[in-house]
Amino acid sequence: MPLLELKNVASYYGSVQALKNVSLQVEQGEVVTLLGANGAGKSSTLRTISGLLRPASGEVWFDGQPIHAMAPEKIVRLGISHVPEGRRIFPGLTVRENIMLGTSNRGRLSKQQMETEVAEMFEIFPVIKPFENALGWTLSGGQQQMLAVARGLMAKPKLLLLDEPSLGLAPVIVQQLFATIRVIHSRGTTILLVEQNANMALSVANRGYVLETGEMKVEGTPKELLGNEEVRAAYLGGHG
Amino acid sequence: MDALANNFQVLFQGLALGSIYALVALGFVLIIRATNVVNFAQGDFAMLGAYIMVAFLVNAGMPYWLSFALAIVAMGVFGLLFNYGVYYPLRHRGFLPVIISTLGASIFLQNSVLALFGAQPKRLDNVVAGGIQIGSVFLDSQYLVILAVTMVMVAFQYFFFEHTMIGKKLQATSQDKDMARLLGIPVALMIAITFIYSAALGGLAGVLVGPVLFVSIGMGSIIALKAFAATIIGGFGDVKGAIVGGLFIGVVESFAAFYISVPYKDAYAFLMLFLVLVFRPQGFFGEKVSEKA
Amino acid sequence: MQNSQSRRLSPWFFILLALGVAVALLPYMFNVSHFVLSMFMQATTYAIAVLGMVVVLGYTGQINLAQAAFFGFGAYGVALGTVSYGLSFWVALALGIGIAGLAGGILGLTTLRLGGHYLAMITISFQQIFDLVAVNWIEVTHGPDGIAGIPRPSFFGHELSDDRAYLLLCSIVLIALIIAVWYLPRTRLGRAMRGVRENELAAEVVGVHTLRTKVIAFTMSAALGGIGGGLYAGGFAYISPDNFNFQRAVEFLSMVLLGGAQSPFGGALGTTLLILLPEWLKEMPPALQFIKDVYLAIYGLAVILIMVFMPEGIWGLLRNGWMKFARAKPVDTSGIKPLNLDIAVTETTPLLKLEGMQKHFGGLKAVDGVDLEVRRGTVHALIGPNGSGKTTTLNVVNGIYKPTGGRIIVDGIDVSQKSPHERAAHGLGRTFQNIRLFPSMSALENVIVGAQRDNNPIERGSAALRARAMSALEFVGLADKADAIVRSLPYGHQRLVEIARALAGHPKLLLLDEPAAGLNQTEKMELVELLKKLRGGHGLTIFLIDHDMGLVEKVSDRITVLNFGRKIAEGSPQEVLRHPDVIAAYLGDANAAA
Repeated sequence: MPLLELKNVASYYGSVQALKNVSLQVEQGEVVTLLGANGAGKSSTLRTISGLLRPASGEVWFDGQPIHAMAPEKIVRLGISHVPEGRRIFPGLTVRENIMLGTSNRGRLSKQQMETEVAEMFEIFPVIKPFENALGWTLSGGQQQMLAVARGLMAKPKLLLLDEPSLGLAPVIVQQLFATIRVIHSRGTTILLVEQNANMALSVANRGYVLETGEMKVEGTPKELLGNEEVRAAYLGGHG
Repeated sequence: MDALANNFQVLFQGLALGSIYALVALGFVLIIRATNVVNFAQGDFAMLGAYIMVAFLVNAGMPYWLSFALAIVAMGVFGLLFNYGVYYPLRHRGFLPVIISTLGASIFLQNSVLALFGAQPKRLDNVVAGGIQIGSVFLDSQYLVILAVTMVMVAFQYFFFEHTMIGKKLQATSQDKDMARLLGIPVALMIAITFIYSAALGGLAGVLVGPVLFVSIGMGSIIALKAFAATIIGGFGDVKGAIVGGLFIGVVESFAAFYISVPYKDAYAFLMLFLVLVFRPQGFFGEKVSEKA
Repeated sequence: MQNSQSRRLSPWFFILLALGVAVALLPYMFNVSHFVLSMFMQATTYAIAVLGMVVVLGYTGQINLAQAAFFGFGAYGVALGTVSYGLSFWVALALGIGIAGLAGGILGLTTLRLGGHYLAMITISFQQIFDLVAVNWIEVTHGPDGIAGIPRPSFFGHELSDDRAYLLLCSIVLIALIIAVWYLPRTRLGRAMRGVRENELAAEVVGVHTLRTKVIAFTMSAALGGIGGGLYAGGFAYISPDNFNFQRAVEFLSMVLLGGAQSPFGGALGTTLLILLPEWLKEMPPALQFIKDVYLAIYGLAVILIMVFMPEGIWGLLRNGWMKFARAKPVDTSGIKPLNLDIAVTETTPLLKLEGMQKHFGGLKAVDGVDLEVRRGTVHALIGPNGSGKTTTLNVVNGIYKPTGGRIIVDGIDVSQKSPHERAAHGLGRTFQNIRLFPSMSALENVIVGAQRDNNPIERGSAALRARAMSALEFVGLADKADAIVRSLPYGHQRLVEIARALAGHPKLLLLDEPAAGLNQTEKMELVELLKKLRGGHGLTIFLIDHDMGLVEKVSDRITVLNFGRKIAEGSPQEVLRHPDVIAAYLGDANAAA
């Protein structure tokens, strides 16, 4: 049984159809990436999984139970942590407080436990350690992204949803970030990664899907996808 | 009485009154931060609190501290009802409908209390009788109580928001609701807590100010307007600003009433408000918040 | 030109007009008691003040909780003018209205730029101060005792001392004002007001001076309050501060909400109902008499319930019901002139020039020193990964954000510090990534708001505006949808209406923010055709953002690529889309990732 399974999901934003027919599976321990042009429905897929968008039809199953009718705050308690596009750092809270709030799905933690876990995050993300007590909005884009992933990991997720983590980051920072994603994966977290940086994404993924205007087009291993014309087409819009 | 003593006496009164404005302003700010709307019935929370106190203490003849506790608890419950009756059904509809709805609640509260208690203002006694005489300056006990309680509440609130997880969750809710939900923070509950706390805070202000002003139907609106002026003068949505703004208004108003004219006492706050809006619309502490959504 | 839809009067209008005239003449036909007459007088004068609420709240979406104070200005103007200073009624009335309007304008100027919450509280404060002054400034206002013996005017030598005659005067004024307020949304100003209500940012960007529009709305509302108050003072011959307190302001608000804030008929209906309500309560059986004591509490409760269950008021319910039965007439699309988009290209300097433009948000350098030139008459695309600063660039170019540093020069003029509506008047048009239309206005009205920007080189007058808007709709292929409410249009059509709105303003420079986002393949093809049509030698310059490289390649003359707030490449589509840095930014660098 896959950890996560979407069966023929369709979703709408108001009257605009975001997803037409999306089916995908993520097995325990995998890194799966979701590729596609802007507006293809990648973010909408993640939002549908985490409950921000309720599917109009189709089913979402996680860890053996249907979750498509659940509220986001319930879903995260089952172990899906969604690090959304645009980082969404709480601007008026400090870096440390942002990280601590990542545990909101886990009930009360002892002070000791909290300290240990926060320290662990600063170990994985040493870039943000110096800004521990700075307010979130003062961080640069790369630092905010690290913080957002750290906050997402504090949920101790079985499945981590990462939405365009490389967005707006300089190449050297992107490389750091992907190195960190490998570390997270090696520690046993299953990851569903949405990226527009296809090479980067496929370099860490076990499998990938390509979305086009709300529908699944191609599925395959990184090797298959990199050799696929449609993947290139999805990125440079039929050019190339 | 010499001029210095006079000034001291006036300053003392101003600070005490200002504390009341600050307490109500704190309630305002919390709700603004949680829901992005101004609650126009915030002042009536104080009025209702004072009348509930009258009902328990004077009408039912209960002991002071029991009445006090019951009044605060009742206000908390009321805050919850207010959340579900006035705010919650309109939460997706922009700020104008919510403002109007809270305004409707204000009218409803004032006139319901009027029907129940009549138009005659009520008296509440001081918590402790008497006061302290220092030279020619008399420090009324109720004013001292108000100042002390305000200080305690401000300290409590600071601790609550900055040093507890629930306080941080409340702040997170006020800053980005969708993100808060993604982290598992029960946003609806957080907003309900905000209303409960704000109503209790308003009720506390009412119970405290009851012995100083008369307990009347209109007491809430006038306090609320000054508290709102305090939030703007201090910086919209800023906790520190609300406290300083409240004290500032209380003090300026007391001096202006003493040296200029009493009948227009209530107008000075508004005058200051206009001046601040024209010359420094972001308030004392407010920064020009970055426009990025 | 086709039949003018805006001049097609609904049959309701005449029915209601006839009803109004009949009510006004009623006292002459039947024997009516003095009590009923004074109730009518109250209803008509209040209704005039409530019309002010329709303008400010219903049309413009701004709250005003000081209408009783403005009502009071008019009343005190008449009372003090006639009783204390011996002026003629008409002079005193004019003074009262003038002071009310002036007070409204000043209040609006100081607070309207700050928006909703401030406005609500400031107007309440103003109302309270008015009350304080009316009660305490006894030498002038006569304090709480009020002013008695206010005379009634004569009208061309006709004394209006008879209640029926004076009521007739009030009714005529009310009917005239209802017609004026009813007509207002069809005017340039009225459309600007509704634009502000529907989407203030979009209104500003298409050229509406939003602050001025709001101040005018506020002034009009206050002046209407003044008219009502002045007539009220003459009608009752006695006023005191109680008539003008906050309670009254809330009554005005309740009246407009109950009746329906979007229509003067709704306002008048709400006023009538709430004035009759206490009388009906008196007729209640004794068991229900307690309601009389708490009827103000019921008011408050009603306000909440109306907001929750009936946000458009009774009139809104009636109108929505009527709309279900009324069949929409097909739009006459004959005789629409082709859209003139010609811009004389006389100079060779770039039309748009960015010099070291920066925009920072806290630690985020969204745009970090971009230099860019857009040549006249070309299509220039701005591409780059998400978060690279494209939309921010567009927002700085058209003035939604002020730059942190650098300059923006459009057609030789530095616009860096100009507001969006000034830039629209200078010939900047724009569409948004997440469509920003005026959702409850028709497609045609949306486009007319675009056409009515300052300096639009078309003839004056509403016919020319309409013709321009129809041409723009025809250009995007939606002329037959002119009367549709845009909210009900499919997404793809909404995009086109937005483009038509920008084109109607005859821009020199058109900014398109992801025009293809959310469109399906067919719609994208249509968009490409449309953009090619726009390029066709009009001299129009287009600066666009999109992620669809196919579209960008097909329509652009030049492409600039941004990545993390900086320019990484620029050139012809062929050069840029094969540029290794660009491929790396989009596809990722295979070597770096390995």
